[in-house]
Amino acid sequence: MEEELIRIKNNAISLILEAKSQKELEDLKLQFLGRSGHLTQLSKNMKHVPDEKKVEVGRLFNQTKQILEDTIDQATKSLKTQHKKAQKINLDVTDPAILPPLGNLHPVTQVIEEISNIFERIGFTRERYPEIDYDWFAFEALNFPENHPARDDWETFFIKQTPDPKYGPVILTPHTSNGQIREMLSKQLPIKMLNIAKCYRRQSDVSHTPMFHQFETLVVGKDISIVDLRGTLDYFVKSYFGENRKTRIRPYHFQFTEPSFEVDISCGVCDGQGCKLCKAGWLELGGAGMVHPNVLKACNIDPEKYSGFASGFGIERVLMMREGIEIDDLRTLYANRLEFLEQF
Amino acid sequence: MNIKILDSWLKEYLETKATAQEIAKELSLTSVSIERVEPYKNDWTYDIEITTNRPDLASVNGLAREAGAVLPQNGIKATYKPLQLKFSSSDTASGGGIEKRTGFSTSLEQDNKAKLDIQVNTKFVNRICAVVMDVQIAKSPEQIKDRLESSDIRSINNLIDITNYVMRVTGQPTHVFDYDRLGSDKLIIREAKKDEEITTLDNKTYKLLGGEIVAENAKGEIVDLLAIMGLANSVVTEKTKRIVFFVNNIDSSKVRKASMELGIRTQAAQLNEKHLDPNLCETALQYGIQLYEQLAHGKIVSQIIDIYPNKLTEKQVKVNLQKINSVIGVEVPKQQSVDILKKLGFGVESDDPRHAELVSASAVIPAQAGIQKRKSWILNQVQDDKLSVQNDNLYLLVTVPTIRAYDINLQEDIIEEIARIYGYHNLPSKLPLLNTIQTQQQGKNQYYWEQKSKNALKYWGFTEVYTYSMVPENLYEGPLDKAVTIANPLNEEFVYMRKTLVPSLLQVLSENKSFESVKIFEIANVYNKRENKLPEEVRMLAGVIRQPQISFFTVKGYVEQLLKDLGITAVSFKPTDQGGNGASIYISKQYLGEIEILDPNLINFELNFELLIKHASLKKTYIPAAKFPPILEDISLIAPAEVLTEDLIKEISKQNPLISEVTFLDRYENTRTFHVVYQDRTKNLTTEEVKHIHSAILQSLHKKWGIKEKN
Repeated sequence: MEEELIRIKNNAISLILEAKSQKELEDLKLQFLGRSGHLTQLSKNMKHVPDEKKVEVGRLFNQTKQILEDTIDQATKSLKTQHKKAQKINLDVTDPAILPPLGNLHPVTQVIEEISNIFERIGFTRERYPEIDYDWFAFEALNFPENHPARDDWETFFIKQTPDPKYGPVILTPHTSNGQIREMLSKQLPIKMLNIAKCYRRQSDVSHTPMFHQFETLVVGKDISIVDLRGTLDYFVKSYFGENRKTRIRPYHFQFTEPSFEVDISCGVCDGQGCKLCKAGWLELGGAGMVHPNVLKACNIDPEKYSGFASGFGIERVLMMREGIEIDDLRTLYANRLEFLEQF
Repeated sequence: MNIKILDSWLKEYLETKATAQEIAKELSLTSVSIERVEPYKNDWTYDIEITTNRPDLASVNGLAREAGAVLPQNGIKATYKPLQLKFSSSDTASGGGIEKRTGFSTSLEQDNKAKLDIQVNTKFVNRICAVVMDVQIAKSPEQIKDRLESSDIRSINNLIDITNYVMRVTGQPTHVFDYDRLGSDKLIIREAKKDEEITTLDNKTYKLLGGEIVAENAKGEIVDLLAIMGLANSVVTEKTKRIVFFVNNIDSSKVRKASMELGIRTQAAQLNEKHLDPNLCETALQYGIQLYEQLAHGKIVSQIIDIYPNKLTEKQVKVNLQKINSVIGVEVPKQQSVDILKKLGFGVESDDPRHAELVSASAVIPAQAGIQKRKSWILNQVQDDKLSVQNDNLYLLVTVPTIRAYDINLQEDIIEEIARIYGYHNLPSKLPLLNTIQTQQQGKNQYYWEQKSKNALKYWGFTEVYTYSMVPENLYEGPLDKAVTIANPLNEEFVYMRKTLVPSLLQVLSENKSFESVKIFEIANVYNKRENKLPEEVRMLAGVIRQPQISFFTVKGYVEQLLKDLGITAVSFKPTDQGGNGASIYISKQYLGEIEILDPNLINFELNFELLIKHASLKKTYIPAAKFPPILEDISLIAPAEVLTEDLIKEISKQNPLISEVTFLDRYENTRTFHVVYQDRTKNLTTEEVKHIHSAILQSLHKKWGIKEKN
């Protein structure tokens, strides 16, 4: 009985789908579902079905009937639309669309997402550390001497709060590098960290905003070398700026790295030939270096056994270095004019 | 700081056929950034960015020394030709001081007319060298003028030009006084007192803040602001016949402080604040005397003064050869490391007896470095290291030239020297090993949820804004004495670390008045003050909708759908207890945030995003489609307004497990209609059963609130 039902169903469906006219469909309906149709005929055999199977077969019977009815309905509709297609309707496709809502993500968010994705692909774990932190994490443990200009109140914002006896004054972090210290103190080696956060400095002009964003990488483990740093920078630059861009590192000076580097990328406008926008074919990207042994020591890591590299770049800077984005005043990014934001 | 140097000037100290562009490129890659090479007459000028740790490169001589080490490493022939002085400093390196030099003292005994007595405080004076000379004022020769002017230094006359010329060649700022205008033959070097007044040689008057280092004459008049700028009362004039050529090295942090506070940023100040080698004083004095003799008919008429209370002692750094390779990432042959260091003026000794021939440090050190070996110290070190020698763990003992004394302290500093000259561009590039990556479940990744939320809002038409964490007083919500406050704000716009995001968003709306309908949002931290702890930072999500006649339920919809998309159940909305109109939102019993109706066209919401993420879940439950048809029913109830719809739904739902769904359909006056789905997953429901449940519902509603069904 069940097999017979399935056979009838399959047979009927294939005939329905092949039907080319309304008339054909009507005939099929009669043939299968009509008073003397195949299904009705079959239903008369119900009395031969054993009692325990009656419920199930009954349901299957109803289902089959339902499916055939639906299929014929749909086939009827689709024949009707085919018919309609032939008739031209009056439609100006250049009239404006009815748009679904679409807002905008801030360009800084877009850059952060892209950078996170790039570094995640090569095994970096994103972390977040305090924006307001003690001097010890932001300067002292990073090997800044006591009278370093960055520690004075011309450059860094201080919070009105009694300094901690151990960790010193509370400040708005002027860089993401406090994350290096907090990462090394709280995690097991090896470390591959990406830290993206807001930073604050006492500056406001066309190329500075008192609040900005940095992304910081930190890799610490056995035998981490300048070669690893170069590889990571190359991977980032090619992924973010394009395959044809080159990276170079030059000697520089930072308190918390030794050796320290300035990272340049080849200019995208002149392709490294030298032009008005670049310095002899190169654009400065930011700072990097090998983690200073004093920094490792401050985090209870033996600099004789382990080494590491770190880099810290401005999100706003890599955003502005993208071709096609020439923002003449950095403060525009945080002025939140909708005319501006809607372009991103 | 940036300085400019002419290519032909550099090549006076550097024998090479390399072009200016080649030199600039090689130095930029290995040493100091040469930002531009620009044509100047038939020559080129280098525009050089001096990093704070390398003041030794802010000089023609220093740059030539560096280029002499860098260029050959990259296959370009070049030889450093050190500055030639009449009396090489190696004569005096044993500590004699200049005044004992035979050449000077003989000439002095015959013609010792002028006296100069300088008293110093050794707390802040490291070294002072000075001499009185008879001179004739004149214009400088063209070459001197060109070299200075291409360096952005104005040529004035030979007496002043020589001081600048010496500074540029040696890197040591120098000064010239009119000896007869000093008003005495005695100078006292002291700290200035508060409110003392000076007039600098450019005729500007300053009130001192106290602590600046000044020179005072016997009459108690200040005649010099040391290391920063000369004063009008002692500067040379057209009538000058006798000069004091004066070179000093004083506490660099005092120089920086004074220069920054007074706002006098001369090249001298910018160099003197960078920890110069006191030995440069001697070089500068000697070179200056030579130039006064050549260009101004100079004749020494006094003792040569050399006060050097704080002698710089040389240091040695022990460098593990293995460490060199592991930091650089490639194997650098030992001999190559040694060669690089020697070319840069370092002394190198190996503690490996097999390489004893390397020990010949002094031979290659430029004269002015003045290196003295401290034998006993080295011996101790070697003995300490005997064990490591046996383990083939070899070291280099590196003597640091005094020109690099403040810059080089550790093994890593030496490794940097080797690495950069070896050439960063010669290193391969590879990714760090991936064999130990932290695992992270997607559902526990806050950044995943954050991005998902932002995208949801974006596709509902919201625009994301970034506003400042610091707000002015009028945007701060709450008592100011509990605010996280900036002690040294830049201006009154940025004083308090905000406690809520909504005021900043409202500010954005007020700055975008031309847009009638606006939906904006932000995810950012707020800051709560805590006693004796860092402020608490909490991530919040806030949004503001401005739209004519905006419905509360539209905004509730955004919040509800967002929570649903993040897999958060057990959400409830309650009448707000914050005052005003709106709703408080809870996840289970925890307070999540508010929706607030500000006026008929303006609604905002602010949610604790961290709590939201904590409850976010990727978990999905699948229930197969029911095999038996449900029975559907709409029930209209006459219910008092104070009974909440949510409570009605709860009450109806709990009457029977066969009620699978209750939804609110509409409200008309005092009647609310609900759609009820009855479903038995095991069999067909009978009308009889449904009738039974229906009356149970009505009974309980009536009992609880006196509610009746509408007929």
